[in-house]
Amino acid sequence: MKKLITLNINGQDFDLAVSPRDLLVDVIRKKVGLTGTKKGCGQGDCGACTVLMDGHPVLSCITLAVASQGKKIQTIEGLSEGEKLHPIQESFVEQGAVQCGYCTPGMILSAKALLDRNPDPSEEEIKQGIAGNLCRCTGYKKIVKAISAAAEKLGGKEEERVR
Amino acid sequence: MFLPEFEYFAPETLEEALGLLERYGEKAKILAGGTDLLVMMKDKLLKPEVLIDISKLIELQGIQYVPEQGLTLGAATKIDEVQHSLSIQKNWRALAQAAGELGSAQVRSMATLGGNSCHASPAAETPPALVALGAKVSLACPGGEREILLENFILGNRKTALQGGEILTRFFLPEPSPRSASVYLYHALRGAMEIDMLNVAVYLALAPDLRSCQEVRIALGAVSPVPLRAEKSEVILTGSKMENSVIEAAGRLASAQASPISDLRATAQHRREVVEVLVRRALTQAYEVARAGKEVKG
Repeated sequence: MKKLITLNINGQDFDLAVSPRDLLVDVIRKKVGLTGTKKGCGQGDCGACTVLMDGHPVLSCITLAVASQGKKIQTIEGLSEGEKLHPIQESFVEQGAVQCGYCTPGMILSAKALLDRNPDPSEEEIKQGIAGNLCRCTGYKKIVKAISAAAEKLGGKEEERVR
Repeated sequence: MFLPEFEYFAPETLEEALGLLERYGEKAKILAGGTDLLVMMKDKLLKPEVLIDISKLIELQGIQYVPEQGLTLGAATKIDEVQHSLSIQKNWRALAQAAGELGSAQVRSMATLGGNSCHASPAAETPPALVALGAKVSLACPGGEREILLENFILGNRKTALQGGEILTRFFLPEPSPRSASVYLYHALRGAMEIDMLNVAVYLALAPDLRSCQEVRIALGAVSPVPLRAEKSEVILTGSKMENSVIEAAGRLASAQASPISDLRATAQHRREVVEVLVRRALTQAYEVARAGKEVKG
């Protein structure tokens, strides 16, 4: 039997009819129509389906949509301000950290969760932060570099604000 | 990959959850973080007709420290909360280390401490650390509650002492001795998202002379269906000076006591050899930290 639920995605409420077995990734992609969130392994190993829930990175392919009510869900579409990319997205472009692009949304959201908790991570901490996101193109080096560059940008921004 | 059909409940109180469990019995499964359960349901290894989501139960949340007594952790505490808790990093370090090695950042922000023990995988990270730290678990049922040692809770591969209608609600860790330290070490094939080939947790408390062992608990993971207490090693360590010869003997005894299997991660023989090395290293590290005493523990 379908249940009526409300999901808050990127600051907007969506009223949806879902079955208990519906996974968050499918609801985000098919019912809400935000296809930036990718579906890879379907088993919680590859990280392509990563979204943020109350700021924490979660795997939407092993999360029930019915269990996601009352949480603030953020997908890759909610990161930029209109045409203006988020500094992490900018850094990924500048450092050439995107090749086929399939892992990129999950990778960027994992990076955001990491930088929100730890604004100045070491290289090792960055690697730990994205250990649950597989990339089969880049070899990770440029991704690690992009996250480190984004940390500097975000830190710089903060200093400006303080001044 | 799709999930089979099921009915979903998200009770708001423990009483309500226990009522649902009583009503649906064997047909129901408790949904905590879902990182094991939902994957097993996708693989059609489990087909519960009812899922009872316990994430809204306040009774199962939170980490609470009572000085002189110890630490209470709600069963639904997320693994990443355990990993980042300053109190756990300071006084129950082996548990913070084990939590930090579980899965990925995503898995750690979803999975719960209770789920990791209830799933009872022989290769799980947190149970050996909890056993070495002397953890007890509280099990609630409609009539009341009972408390047992975690090492008596995990009975085998995917088997626990949970009886029909019971829910694991809390973990309790006793306050460590002032001259003590705990260490978690593991061995695995790669650096991330791996399942441990082997892990070892040690809790060591020194006598006032800071040279001999007053109390020690060693738990070995992935070398037996349950976290295995290396009791023979513990016996020769207790009361002895922490000299290399004793530490080496403790490693050999732990290796002899282990009963590993051969699987895709390692042969039984290799596991036995690694147990010896890890026990030795864990004891040496714990001894150094415990001996440094108050400075290290802050």
